[in-house]
Amino acid sequence: MRLRSLYVFHLDTGACNGCEIELFDILTPYYDAERLGVRLAASPRHAHAMAATGPLTRQAYYAAKEAIKAMPPKPRIIVAIGTCACSGGIFYNGYPIYRRPESGREGQEYPRRGGIFELVQDLRDEGEYVGPVVYIPGCPPRPEEILYGVALALGLVEKQVKGEYYTEEVGFELPEYPIEERIRLSLRERLKYVVGYFDREKVLEDFMGLVAKAKSAEELHGLIQGYCLKNPDPRVSLAMRVLKREFLRLKEKYGWEVKGSAEALQGEVRGLQVSADGDAGPR
Amino acid sequence: MAVTLKYPFVKIEAPPEYRGVPHINPRLCIGCGACVNACPADALLRIDDYEKGTRKIVLDVGRCIRCARCDEACPTGAIRMTRNFEVATLDRKDHVEVVELRLHRCPNCGSYTDYTERALEKALQILPEGLFDGDEIRKRAILCRNCRRKLTVDDAVEASREVVE
Repeated sequence: MRLRSLYVFHLDTGACNGCEIELFDILTPYYDAERLGVRLAASPRHAHAMAATGPLTRQAYYAAKEAIKAMPPKPRIIVAIGTCACSGGIFYNGYPIYRRPESGREGQEYPRRGGIFELVQDLRDEGEYVGPVVYIPGCPPRPEEILYGVALALGLVEKQVKGEYYTEEVGFELPEYPIEERIRLSLRERLKYVVGYFDREKVLEDFMGLVAKAKSAEELHGLIQGYCLKNPDPRVSLAMRVLKREFLRLKEKYGWEVKGSAEALQGEVRGLQVSADGDAGPR
Repeated sequence: MAVTLKYPFVKIEAPPEYRGVPHINPRLCIGCGACVNACPADALLRIDDYEKGTRKIVLDVGRCIRCARCDEACPTGAIRMTRNFEVATLDRKDHVEVVELRLHRCPNCGSYTDYTERALEKALQILPEGLFDGDEIRKRAILCRNCRRKLTVDDAVEASREVVE
């Protein structure tokens, strides 16, 4: 059935309000869900669909049940907005979250249970008709995601995800890096205290490139100076200096082969400790 | 002037910093389970089957809160956040991504260990050359826990015997 316009009743079943903020964004002129025929209805008696947010607390369970029962018998679409409504999200094992007795809290089942589907299943067991459930994960989903989900419910767009099952047949690769793997992993751990996940891999990759180019500790020092001058971001410069200090420290500590003379390295490490001590970190 | 986004009818891309759904690259995954330990919402599962000798790493995007901790924890860079956000679906099974890997089998007793073949390969890559004498550690690394313990005790007993004689 191709739906033409959808009257949506919004029900909060214990959400943190993040999804609500995103849901109201799609009614602004910029996203404008009304051009798809979506309007918010004030009562479940007027609604084709219910936009449910939140992990379904035990308090909200009865109200949500009454609301779904009050909806017209068809189509009764449920739009689960946010990860919580899809599967319980971060609150999955909280004490106030409603769960059917057979869907445990610590199980190994997948897809993960929880959220509004527990109520839908209860209603279906009672013989009530409940239409399809559209799952829109995200914590919170951005307005485009909600628009996409609504368009999917209306039949305007095609589904894009598909469950995947990979076995050993896909092959295995163990990437090689210019520096030893154990040092790379140590540097990566150290870098966690300095830069966020977004820049980390790129900074480490650039550093490894410089190490591969450098023939001695002095040369590495010069290359990193050049890199920091070229890169205007002070956080990246700090991360590079911290990486170099850690790299030379590791090389020295474990007595692995160090390029360059020992005295130069000593001075190098001491100078760096003065210049790059601004970074915070437990080590 | 039209301000409204023509979104579901045109393609748009999320900004580069956007945290979309994570994705496991099955060619890089070693099945160590670091992501499973890091995941606060239990969106990642590690399911071991010692009868069949397989380990499944299961990612359920519908439970994921996109905190990127798995991305931080992964030692091989197999699990990565993507910019993909068009994951709405009518079937929850579409959200699940499974990587099934073989568990390592102990060459001595033939039972399955609690790590995968790929994880062993990775561990041997990290292991520095010449830190331990000979290939002693490489001989032990491939054994299961019980066999390793037994070998260590046997070696110790033999060494003490040599001392006594």
